[in-house]
Amino acid sequence: MSGAGSGRWELGDVRAKAANYKYAAISALTVVALLVLWAIVTSVFSISHLVLPSPRVMLEEITNLLRIGYSGKALHVHVIASLLRSLTGLIAGIVLAVPVGLLMGYSRTFNAVLLPIFGFFRPIPPIAFIPLMILWFGIGELGKVLLIFAASFNYTVLNSAAGMRSVPEQLIRAGINLGLTRRQLFLSVMLPAAMPHIFTGIKISTAVSWAIVVAAELIAGQEGLGFIIMDAGTFFRIADVFLGIIIVGAIGVSLEIMISSLERRVLHWQAK
Amino acid sequence: MTEVSKAFGSPARGNREIVALDRVSLAMSDQEIVCLVGPSGCGKTTLLNIIAGFEFPSAGRVTVDGAEVRGAGPDRMVVFQSPALFPWMTVVENVTFGLRKRGVGPSQYLPEAARYVHAVGLDGFGDHYPYQLSGGMKQRVQIARALVNRPEVLLMDEPFVALDFQTRVSMQELLLRIWYEFHPTILFITHDVEEAVFLADRVYVMTKRPGRIKEEVFVAFPKPRTVDVVTTSEFVAIKDRVLHLIREEMLGGPGIEVVDAGEQRHEPA
Repeated sequence: MSGAGSGRWELGDVRAKAANYKYAAISALTVVALLVLWAIVTSVFSISHLVLPSPRVMLEEITNLLRIGYSGKALHVHVIASLLRSLTGLIAGIVLAVPVGLLMGYSRTFNAVLLPIFGFFRPIPPIAFIPLMILWFGIGELGKVLLIFAASFNYTVLNSAAGMRSVPEQLIRAGINLGLTRRQLFLSVMLPAAMPHIFTGIKISTAVSWAIVVAAELIAGQEGLGFIIMDAGTFFRIADVFLGIIIVGAIGVSLEIMISSLERRVLHWQAK
Repeated sequence: MTEVSKAFGSPARGNREIVALDRVSLAMSDQEIVCLVGPSGCGKTTLLNIIAGFEFPSAGRVTVDGAEVRGAGPDRMVVFQSPALFPWMTVVENVTFGLRKRGVGPSQYLPEAARYVHAVGLDGFGDHYPYQLSGGMKQRVQIARALVNRPEVLLMDEPFVALDFQTRVSMQELLLRIWYEFHPTILFITHDVEEAVFLADRVYVMTKRPGRIKEEVFVAFPKPRTVDVVTTSEFVAIKDRVLHLIREEMLGGPGIEVVDAGEQRHEPA
């Protein structure tokens, strides 16, 4: 992990990897078992495709979707539409929230000014604002992206502030002792020390932003995965409803895995 | 060369002012190892924090080389009790952090780092991160990080207290070897009397709160010392004297009988 292999840790690494493969195999078995169960249930009880489509029907439908798309647009157009909304809001939220949060953690006055705002909004489910967003910004992109931005911002800002406040006093003193300027202390000691909390905020924001984009598209949209799910439901294209849900889930899991691997890379110095 | 003198009372808690240190004066000369011992709560750490510049005296002043201390700085490097290493930096990055931030170039700081990493016995661990190091190794990194800045005085705040006995003894010997190699001036705080007498040229014994210097005890053994010295009768005599002074403080003054867990009991003089 840390470029220079040290001998001491390698044996442990090998063992840990072997164990990881074992548990990954167990998880894969769960997935296979569920698929089999699904196939058996749909064929044995001959459940209507309008209630629970069989895996075979789903397979047919996904080739359909891939070939002709949905509602006049290719499937990847819908996927990209959802991802773009979500990531635009998410990245903008994080980029703005980290510095504001760090300042809140750094200055109690700054914190006192802003905490009532962010503290109040935190427990409100962001989707509660969807109707307002439609009212103010219409059913276009702006409202959805703004909502995702606001939610990501809120989760990241509070975690960044908490991260800043949790920087051990000893580390700050060590930095001062070494003759660091205030700016150096902030950027080279406090910021990296706050990174674990910041990452927690980023992870929550990523999950939340993906959930919001789908919810927002369910209510108002002409493209996107949420739109497919809602539209297909309206027209009893139940296989498409399920496919939409599965794609949303798969992308959500992928995002989570990507963030986690980024976290492991950036925060490799944290004791495991 | 190093001339640290004196300090103050501590800020109010509630309405009552607590005097943590009461007109403490101490002086150190160049290349000297001075240990400060005293009952817990006597203000040893407060004193160190004031010399380091983390806290400010309410009266009195601290001078290093004639210049008054106005804040923390690398001329007074602290080795903290808990290993305050930056966990996202490797050993070498930790050691060179101060130099790098002051604009020293790699051609200068890399050989310096190698020198002090070697001196603390961590050759081959330069690329390790703190989480990969034992407690004793972390304290070695702290010592290297302090020395690389060539401080006027090295301030050590009970640096070995959290280590197991074996490691503690080997760290004490290491510190003396390092002293022999670089001759740093060291102010060492501890509540371990044996550690103090083993390391010090001079031991200051403090009173309980409000902390004052109760007495100054000279330890004349030549350096470098090895652990063998602790069994000599001279060593035991000095240790007993310091123990006796501290016990006097803990018992709260003459005439009070306190029977503790059957350890050697010193009657107040």
